[in-house]
Amino acid sequence: MQQLWLIPCLPLVGFLLLVLGHGRCSRSVARLVGVGSVAMAGLVTLWVALDFYSAGAAQSYQVQLWPWFNAGTLEVSFGLYLDGLSLSMLFVITGVGSLIHWYASGYMWQDPDYQRFFAYMNLFVAAMLTLVLADNLVLLFLGWEGVGLCSFLLIGFWHQDPANGYAARKAFVVTRVGDTAFAIGLFLLFRELGTLDLPTIMALAPEQFVMGANRPTLIAALLLAGAVGKSAQLPLHTWLPDAMAGPTPVSALIHAATMVTAGVYLIARTHEVFLQAPDVLLVVALIGLFTLLISGFTALNQTDIKRVLAYSTMSQIGYMFFALGVGAWNESVFHLMTHALFKALLFMTAGSIILAMHHEQDIRSMGGLRRQLPVPFWCFVIGSACLVALPPTSGFFSKEAILIASWQLPGYGPWLWLGGVLGAFITAMYSFRLLFMVFFGPQKAHPHEPKGWQFHPPLMILGALSLVAGWFVLPTATVLPASPAGHPPTWTIVVAIAMPLLGIGIAYKVYVRHQWQGLRFVQWQKLRQFLFQGWGFDGMYKRLLLTPFTTLAQVNRNDMIDGLPKLLIQLSRFLHGLFSQLQNGQLRFYIATLASAAIIVLALALKVL
Amino acid sequence: MNWLALTSLMPLLLVASISVILLLLLAFIRDHKLTCWITCLGLAMAAFWAFADMGDAPQQVTPLLIMDDFSRLLGGTVLLVSLACGWMSYTYLETADEIREEYYILLSLAALGACVLVASNHFASMFIGLELMSVSLFAMVGYMAHSKQQANMTLEAGVKYMVLSGVSSSFLLFGVALIYAYAGNLNIDLLVAAEGPRLQSGYLVIGSALLLVGVAFKMSWIPFHMWTPDVYQGAPAPVTGFLAGAVKVAVFAFAMRWLMMAQGGYLDLLLLGLTVMAVLSMVVGNLLALRQNNLKRLLGYSSIAHMGYIIVTLAASATLGAAALSTALEAAAIYLITYASMTMLAFAVISQLAAQDRRFESGTLAHYQGLLYQQPLLAGALMLAMLALAGMPLTAGFIGKYYLVLVAVDSQLWLLLSLLVLGSSLGLYYYLRVILVLCKTPVGDSRLTLGASEKLLLTLLVAVTLWLGLYPTPAIQWVQLAIQ
Repeated sequence: MQQLWLIPCLPLVGFLLLVLGHGRCSRSVARLVGVGSVAMAGLVTLWVALDFYSAGAAQSYQVQLWPWFNAGTLEVSFGLYLDGLSLSMLFVITGVGSLIHWYASGYMWQDPDYQRFFAYMNLFVAAMLTLVLADNLVLLFLGWEGVGLCSFLLIGFWHQDPANGYAARKAFVVTRVGDTAFAIGLFLLFRELGTLDLPTIMALAPEQFVMGANRPTLIAALLLAGAVGKSAQLPLHTWLPDAMAGPTPVSALIHAATMVTAGVYLIARTHEVFLQAPDVLLVVALIGLFTLLISGFTALNQTDIKRVLAYSTMSQIGYMFFALGVGAWNESVFHLMTHALFKALLFMTAGSIILAMHHEQDIRSMGGLRRQLPVPFWCFVIGSACLVALPPTSGFFSKEAILIASWQLPGYGPWLWLGGVLGAFITAMYSFRLLFMVFFGPQKAHPHEPKGWQFHPPLMILGALSLVAGWFVLPTATVLPASPAGHPPTWTIVVAIAMPLLGIGIAYKVYVRHQWQGLRFVQWQKLRQFLFQGWGFDGMYKRLLLTPFTTLAQVNRNDMIDGLPKLLIQLSRFLHGLFSQLQNGQLRFYIATLASAAIIVLALALKVL
Repeated sequence: MNWLALTSLMPLLLVASISVILLLLLAFIRDHKLTCWITCLGLAMAAFWAFADMGDAPQQVTPLLIMDDFSRLLGGTVLLVSLACGWMSYTYLETADEIREEYYILLSLAALGACVLVASNHFASMFIGLELMSVSLFAMVGYMAHSKQQANMTLEAGVKYMVLSGVSSSFLLFGVALIYAYAGNLNIDLLVAAEGPRLQSGYLVIGSALLLVGVAFKMSWIPFHMWTPDVYQGAPAPVTGFLAGAVKVAVFAFAMRWLMMAQGGYLDLLLLGLTVMAVLSMVVGNLLALRQNNLKRLLGYSSIAHMGYIIVTLAASATLGAAALSTALEAAAIYLITYASMTMLAFAVISQLAAQDRRFESGTLAHYQGLLYQQPLLAGALMLAMLALAGMPLTAGFIGKYYLVLVAVDSQLWLLLSLLVLGSSLGLYYYLRVILVLCKTPVGDSRLTLGASEKLLLTLLVAVTLWLGLYPTPAIQWVQLAIQ
C-alpha cells in the first residue's frame, strides 16, 4: 500500500507540469502529460488493487503521509484510507477517467486552450482522488471543494461566451449552499465526537449516538444537504442542466461519472452516522425518488441532447440516493459504478454526434443518423439499453437489485418500489425517445463523423464494459451493511422487467411509427413549458431568492453600513488637513511649539508631585 | 583603565579611529572609493567586535560608559545601520557635484556619538554622545550646500535641525543640571543611593521633565516633532536614513537605560507625559502621513508614528513592575532592531533612486509611478519595506508589532493598545498607497541602472527584513541574552 500516495499525486504532478509549461510545450506533449498522468494513476490503482486482493479483501489501510495542521484538540493530517469502498471509487475515477481523457485528447484537439483544458482536468482528477482517499473529513472537504472549483473552471471553460460563465457561477453558488451545510455538519460532528478521522467516526458513531436522537439526525441532515448539492438532487439540482455548457468530455467525466456521485460516496462513507438517523435515511430515499421522477419527466421534454442526458444523470443519481435510503448500500455503489460506465459512454457518444453535426445539439434537427454514424449508433444503443436496464446489461443488474431491496423495506417498501418502477418506465420512454429521434426517421443533416484512434476505441471499450459490468463484484460488502434479506414476490420482478419494455414500445409507437401523437408532447402548452423548464424550479428560486436579493441590493445600493467607514475616511482627511496646516515650515513657529510643549510636559510631570 | 576595559571599548575606539584615519588620509589622497571602503570596513569591524563580545561580563569603563550586552547589542545595531548608511551614500555622493570624502568623517563621528549614547549610564557621557551625534548631523543634513538642485532644501533643513536641536539640547542640559542639583551626582544608576547635598524632589521632577523634552525632540514624539518632516525631506537620503535609523535607536536605547533600567523612579514621574506623547504620536503621526505626497516626508511621519508605538514598552514597564520588566525591554529592543532594518531598506531604495534622479527624493510620489516595471528589484524592495512598516506578517515589521501588542495586552494598556491598532490601520492606507503607485502603468520608460554593490546592499537588507519576519527565533534569543 506504500504506493497509494502516487494515485492522487500523479494527476497533480500532471496539472503542475501543464500549468508551469503553459504556452511553452506543444499539443502532443500536453496530450502525453494530460492523458498519461491519469492513465498512470489507473495503472497504480491496478497495482494497489492486486495488493489489496492478495491480502484478502476484508481489510482497510490507513496511510499517514504528513500532518497538515493542529488546532486545539483537532489534529488533521494528510492521510489516505483504502478500503473496499474507496477502491471501488478508485476504479471508477481512474478507469473511466482515463478513457474520457483519451477521448478528450481527440475531442478538444482543435481548441486553442488545449493545455489549459488538460490542466483543469488533471487537477479535477487529483481532487476527486483526494476526496475518495481521504482518511479524515477535512481532507475529504478539501477534495470536495477542489472538485467544485474544477467543475466551475471547466463549465466556464469557453468563458468567451457570457452564458457559460453564468452557468459556471450558477453551479458554484448552488453547490456552495450544500457545501456550507456540509461544513456546519463537520463542525457539529467534531463537537460531538471530538474527531474528524473517518475510521474513528465510524467506530464511535454507533457507540456515542442514540439512534434517532436529535444530534445524529441534525448532523446527518447537514451532511445530506452537502451531498444533495454536489449530486444535483432536489432541491439543489438546478445547476446540473446548465452545467452542460462545458465541453462534452467534462460533462462525461465530472457531471456524469465522478463528481456528481461524490454525494453518494459521502453518504456511503459516513453510513454509520446515517444509520443512527433513520428519519434522515427515509428523507434520502424520498429525495432520490422525487428527483428520479421529476427529472425523468423533464428529460422527456428536452430538445438538447446533452440536457436530456443531464436530466437522465440526475434521475440515475436519484436511484442511487433511493438505494441508500432504503438500505441497499452495496447496490447503490454498484449502480454508481455501472452508471459511470454507461453514462460516460452515452455522453461521449453524444460528443461524437455533436462534433459530427458541427456543434448542433438540438435533437429535432437530427434524425436518421444510424447509417452515417454506425459506431456511435451501436454505442448509443448499448448505453441506452443499460440505462433502461434491459437484461442482461449492467444497468439491469444494478437497478433490479435496488428495486428488490426497496420492496423489502418494512413499512413504505412497496410504495417506494412503485415509484422506482414508474421511474424505470419513464427512463425507458425518454432514453428511447432520444435514440429514435437522433438515429431513426428521415435523415435531416449531413454529419461528418470524427474518426481516429481517439474516438472509436474508448467508446468501444466503454461499450464492452457497460455490457459485462453486471457480473463484476465490488469489494464493498466488507465495508457497507448488507441490504435487507428476503425475496420479494416473483411478479414484482416480472413487472420490473416489463416496465422498461413497455416504455420502449410506447416510444417506438410515438417516435418511429408516429402513432399515438397525443403522447408525443404533452398537448397543453403551459404544462409542456412547465416540464421543459424543469418543473419551474429555476423560476421559483428566481422569485423566492434572486429577486428579493437583487431588490434589496438595489435599495441598499449606497450601502448604509458604508456610511460609517465613509465618515471615518472624511474625519481622517479633515484631521489630516488640520494637522498639516501646522507643518508650515516656519522655524519660529516650530520653536514656539517646542517651548509650549515643554511647558505642557513640565506641567504633566508636576501633577505627579 | 585596565586592559579588559579597553578591549571591551574596542568598537567605540575603532569607530573613533576611522575618523582620525580619514582625516590624516585626506591630507594626502582624495579617493572617494577608498574613503568609503575604509569607513564601511571600520564600521563592519566595530559591529562585529560588538556582537562577538556578547555574553562577556559587563565592563564599567570609567564612570561614564558601561559596556554590557545591552550596549553591545544596540551599539552593534547602530553600527550596522551606519554601515548601511555609508554603503548607500557612495552612489549618492558619486552623482553629486560636491566634495565627497569629508562626509564619511562626519558619518563615523555621528556613529561614534550614537554608540556613546547607547553605552552611557552617566548624564555627562549621554550629553557628549548626543551632541557629538547631533553636531555631526547638522553638517550632514546640510551637506549638499554646493549642489544647484539641492542647496536650498538641504541648507534649510540643516539650519532648522541645528537651531531646533540647539533649543532642545538647552532644555536637556538644564534638566541635567537640575538633576545634579537634586542628587549631587550625574550617574543615572547611583541616584537613589546618592549621599550628598540632597535638595527637595521638585528639582528631580522638573529636571526629568526637561530631560524628557530633549529626548522627545530627538525621538520626534509629538508635539516635539515639528522639525521631522522638513529635515527628513531636505536632508540627503542616506542622512535621512541615519536620522530615522541610527539616531532613533541610540536615543531610545538611552531612554530605556534611563527610564526602564535605572533606579530612580523617573518613569513614574514622566508616565503621564509619555502617555500623552504616545497617544498624540500614534494618532497624529499617522494622520499627518495619510495624504502626504513626498515619500521622505511620508516616512518622516511614519517614523513619528512608529516611535509613538514604542512608548507602549515604556508604559508597560511602569505598570508591570520589575517582574515583567524584561518582557518590555525585550519588546523594545526587538522593535528597535526590526524598525531599523525596514527603515534602512526603505532609505536604501530611495538613495539608489535619488542617486540617479534627485527628483525621487524631492518630488512627489508620482515619480515612483510604474517603478515596478522599470526597476523591479528596487520597487520590490520598497514594497517589502512598506509592507514591513505596515506590520504585515512574514516581514520584520510584524514581529516588532506583535511584541508591542503582546506587551500592551500583558500590562492591560487598553487605551494605548486600541490606538496602536487604530494607528496601524491608518498606516496601512498610506503604505499601500505607495505600493499602488509602484504598480501603476509607468509614464515614461526611463530604464534605471543598478550596480552590483547596490544590488548586494539591497539584497542584504531585504534578506534581514525577511529573515527577522520568517525566522525571528535566533534574533529573539540574542535579544533575550542581551537583556538578562
